[in-house]
Amino acid sequence: MASISIRNLTKRYGTFTVIPDLNLEIADHEFVVFVGPSGCGKSTLLRIIAGLEPISSGDLYIGDIRVNGVQAAQRDIAMVFQDYALYPHMSVYDNMSFALELRGTPKVEIASRVKRAAALLHIEPYLDRKPKELSGGQRQRVAMGRAIVRNPKAFLFDEPLSNLDAKLRGQVRAEIKALSQELKTTMVFVTHDQIEAMTMADRIVVLQSGAIQQYDTPEAVYERPANQFVAGFIGSPAMNFFPVEWREERAVLSQGGTVVPLDGETAGRLAKAGQAVLGIRPEHFAVAPEGTDGLPISVKLVEPLGSDTLIHFDLANVSAIARVDPSLRPKVGDRINLRPQPGRTHLFAATDGQVLR
Amino acid sequence: MTDAAHNERWIRWLNTVQLVIAGAVIMAPTVWMVLSSFKPSFEVTAYPPTVIFAPTLENYVELTRTTPFLSYALNSLIVTVGSTALGLLFGIPAAFAVSWTRITWPAILTLAARMAPGTLFLLPWYVMFRQVGMIGSYTALILSHAVITLPIVIWVLLPSFDAIPRSVFEAAQVDGCSVTRILWRIAMPLVASGIAVSAILAFVFSWNYFLFALVLSNGDTKTLIAAAFNFIGEGSTQWGALMAAATLIALPPLLLAALVQRWLVSGLTLGAVKG
Repeated sequence: MASISIRNLTKRYGTFTVIPDLNLEIADHEFVVFVGPSGCGKSTLLRIIAGLEPISSGDLYIGDIRVNGVQAAQRDIAMVFQDYALYPHMSVYDNMSFALELRGTPKVEIASRVKRAAALLHIEPYLDRKPKELSGGQRQRVAMGRAIVRNPKAFLFDEPLSNLDAKLRGQVRAEIKALSQELKTTMVFVTHDQIEAMTMADRIVVLQSGAIQQYDTPEAVYERPANQFVAGFIGSPAMNFFPVEWREERAVLSQGGTVVPLDGETAGRLAKAGQAVLGIRPEHFAVAPEGTDGLPISVKLVEPLGSDTLIHFDLANVSAIARVDPSLRPKVGDRINLRPQPGRTHLFAATDGQVLR
Repeated sequence: MTDAAHNERWIRWLNTVQLVIAGAVIMAPTVWMVLSSFKPSFEVTAYPPTVIFAPTLENYVELTRTTPFLSYALNSLIVTVGSTALGLLFGIPAAFAVSWTRITWPAILTLAARMAPGTLFLLPWYVMFRQVGMIGSYTALILSHAVITLPIVIWVLLPSFDAIPRSVFEAAQVDGCSVTRILWRIAMPLVASGIAVSAILAFVFSWNYFLFALVLSNGDTKTLIAAAFNFIGEGSTQWGALMAAATLIALPPLLLAALVQRWLVSGLTLGAVKG
């Protein structure tokens, strides 16, 4: 078990810089999730920690040891790959015991560790089978078992759930979370799925173009996004963004001039900035009674989800979504008055997208 | 019968005719060789050729009586097994290294060496081996035949190594394997069928190679294929014995070629990835 420290790390492929000057501290026992869109550098960063990619410049520490030049084999890190990467010619037992055998662990101890991991992952009946005789979910468990038996300094997961169907994904997600609480080992998990990030992480690293946009708890990333990118990336459906201005002592939509009812604190920030981008999550709209302050909208599309209903609408040339109570039973063409919930709106600088505080 | 079904039948019939003609052209010399080896010696060159004859083993008896056939066969076996082993010893790691590093020029270089005419190597080798007193040695023959076996091993195995998902090697790296151990414990078992195919092909090509053995061997190390050449004399040629020798020489490669077919298809990497 160990902390991971990344200092001024840069990764280049030829002249192309994938990760420019990145700093990150992952505490011992922490479950950190790297999340970001495709090509943001999250998998590259994970592979650098694993020792599968060399560092162009900067330093990487695992525990107190600088591991820049240390081979993957010597880092004592376990990794679960997106395609599981099981050894096809070995049985499940051999897949799981291979790393221990390489380290010269006594056979009796290997057997006991494999048995314990297999019990934990419910794969005991399959120990004699070859990977090709297993289902996707079972292979996924074997891949995790192979990592667990080693009792490594840290676990790395490279999008391990992306090949599973939706139901199994939810189940394995919960299992990994439970496993992390039981094993109490540093875990780094890469995903492009924000639900995985939100549900599993102690802290989330949101990456874009190789740069950390925000590194914080899931609650903080959701409640207090550092910039418009994070705000738009975390949350489903995504946050709605409307350009707004402060005109005649009122907040108005830049397009059309509709007055936006904002709480005093947010209005104060907008007054200071003059213009900004207003962010409202779909779930942070309230339906206001007719004739009161609000944003009048016409329902364009209705998506009933059972637990709640999504309504699509256009406002100030922006396609937006609001999540409303299903008892409202909105219909296409209905006119509804929406009001941002006080204290749940976000303002971002119109220039660089950074949050306005 | 519909037009489509009618056309289909015609196509199938033409395909069969095509196969029979191609088979006849390819197999005719071999059939002629095998049949001639069982003909009395005076009938081998008879014109028109006899189709019905009383089969005899006299050519085979003559072959073993007049020549040290078994010792030539042993020479061939030593040179072929030696050069195949040498090809595998260097070819397996070379193919793995090319696949691992994606640096392909060494593989292309070996292929170029294979495609170049043998005479290109023959003279320098003859001079070099003579200088170190190795003409007529098994070592000289094995080393020269490695030019045949090495590219075969490399080029048969390269796609097999390339087909293994990279993540399997990376998983082994993370598990604590050195590159050498990855080759030995992970890559080689996964390309076992490829190794078998490359070994058999290398064996066949080396067994059949004539030129190097003709020049670099001596009376003690002459291989079968070079020895068979001696039956073609300036004054007279022992066609019957030559046919018997050719039949026996062709037997191991034919048997091995039949074996290769069974090894060609492999599902070993199935299940390595998501599937």
